[in-house]
Amino acid sequence: MYKVAALIRAGWLAATSYRLGVIMSFGALILGVVPVFFVTRALQPSMAGVIAGEGDQFFAFIIIGMTVLTVVSAALYALPNALQTGATTGTIEALLATPTPVPTLLAGLAGYEVLYAMLRAGVVLLAAVVMGAHVTWDRFGAVAPILLLVILAHIPIGIIAAAMVLAFRTQGPLPQLVFMLSTFLGGVYYPTHVIPGAIQMISAIVPLTYGLRAIRVVLLEGKPLTAVSGDLFMLLGFAVGLFVVSTIAFQAALRYARRAGTLAQY
Amino acid sequence: MTSAASALTAPALVATPVAETSVSLRGLSKSFAKRRGWGQMIRQPFQREHIRALRDVTCDIVGGEFFGLLGPNGAGKTTLFKTLATLVTPDEGTAIVCGHDVRHAPADVRRVLAPVIADERSLNWRLSARENMRLYAALNGLRGRAALDRVDELLTLVELQEASERLVGAFSSGMKQRLLLARTLLASPRVLLLDEPTRSLDPISARSFRTFLRQEIAIRSGCTVLLATHSADEAFDLCDRVGVLHQGQLIAVGTTSELVSTVAEERYALWVKGDTRATLRDLAASQIAVVVGEPVDEPNGWVRIELDIPGGAESAADVVAALARADVRVARCERMALSLADLLERTLQRYRRESHV
Repeated sequence: MYKVAALIRAGWLAATSYRLGVIMSFGALILGVVPVFFVTRALQPSMAGVIAGEGDQFFAFIIIGMTVLTVVSAALYALPNALQTGATTGTIEALLATPTPVPTLLAGLAGYEVLYAMLRAGVVLLAAVVMGAHVTWDRFGAVAPILLLVILAHIPIGIIAAAMVLAFRTQGPLPQLVFMLSTFLGGVYYPTHVIPGAIQMISAIVPLTYGLRAIRVVLLEGKPLTAVSGDLFMLLGFAVGLFVVSTIAFQAALRYARRAGTLAQY
Repeated sequence: MTSAASALTAPALVATPVAETSVSLRGLSKSFAKRRGWGQMIRQPFQREHIRALRDVTCDIVGGEFFGLLGPNGAGKTTLFKTLATLVTPDEGTAIVCGHDVRHAPADVRRVLAPVIADERSLNWRLSARENMRLYAALNGLRGRAALDRVDELLTLVELQEASERLVGAFSSGMKQRLLLARTLLASPRVLLLDEPTRSLDPISARSFRTFLRQEIAIRSGCTVLLATHSADEAFDLCDRVGVLHQGQLIAVGTTSELVSTVAEERYALWVKGDTRATLRDLAASQIAVVVGEPVDEPNGWVRIELDIPGGAESAADVVAALARADVRVARCERMALSLADLLERTLQRYRRESHV
């Protein structure tokens, strides 16, 4: 665990060494909430009925969607991006030459990006609350396991993309595809029940659909975790199933890369 | 040595290891698929040509030895290093590092062997030297006070203690190379792989780095070092033995002096005045001395010529005497140090001659 923590710490120190960049980035996040506030307020009368069951305020609905999507994006892209950058600079070769097990390296490389995305999401949420978003504060603890499951359901997609990077030096279309489906069919900007019939079936295979619904029900409706147990089981299923597939894919890619000599090549 | 190489190399070249073997290579081979163009991929989708990066490499390196790997670009040095570092899996043969097989126990190999990744970009330039070291200390299993002490000790060793809080991006190439080495030493490796460690250093920094390698790494720590190099200084001054790789084959192994005496005739420079043509022609005909290159005019009418004289000092004296008998004045006769390029070229020539390649 301390090796993962060391990688996360190094990532944090490197990112925050660009001090002005960090300040401007967080400033932009907070400012970005302002137009969302006004647009959602204008749409509130027409959307109130549509979002019923997942909160009563369209502003809070959208903010939850956007913040969770930020975390999902980090879970999808952190690993393949880290491997691609690391292969170019040679850091991956140096990391792989240490006695640290590969899964630990992966957890450390993805860990920082995911935690940083969570911090950014937290800042946006806080800014939204200051601007009047209705959230149930005492439900934050209950949201943590849901968010963890959302991350665990998406990390394997990143692992599969990382396997592609190791073997073929390209992420492939999978993370982009999942991100796009999550954005448009995962309930980020509107509830999935408003999506037309045939396409709505696709949203059923998007993990974010279940994650967002569960988070909104708990955080915006104030209901207990038992109220979203079905969604949690679906997320768990995605996480376990995809984890098995991604582990097999990554091991195969590692063997192939060692055989082909492409492990630390770009 | 390869089976072919052992036949062609004089017995003196094959140093028999008496100490404990640190790295043992037996018939190590590796091929890589050749990159194809789009046209070829469409025409022959299932046919792939392969490049043999390592061919039946067999060699023993003893504990504490400083072993140099020489050879032109593409000879297979980096592939051999990557194989030892478990980044590449061999197709055939075995590579045993301190008793651990690179194919079957890669994690154990990584605990005892560390490659110095010479690429400066493999450092995190946005972290200080100390933070880079702390990260790799953790990845090498060092924690808490022990990690901090080891980091301090190594930063002092590579003379970066004062610069330890500066961002690595602001370091000179020499400082980065020293940090790369310190980072590798965190693992307290028993075997160290150095791939052209001084290639980006100026001559003075390179010399100081070589001294450091010899004193601190080889002598003080007793680490086995495998060094791939194109530098004659490194090969001749640092290495106990060297191996010459050519197209993936280890074609000669021995001390540099053994290699020089076996594969290369001794070369002398003479400063002469007078008509040397007839005498040199006779000497060449009787295979006593052969002129190398063109004569060079020196001040006051002297001419500098280079001769390959196979018989060593005795034959060199005969050559001087023959020139004197022909009324050629000889001002100076000195034995020339063989360059690394000459050594490699001659080793290759000898290999081709003896294996009829």
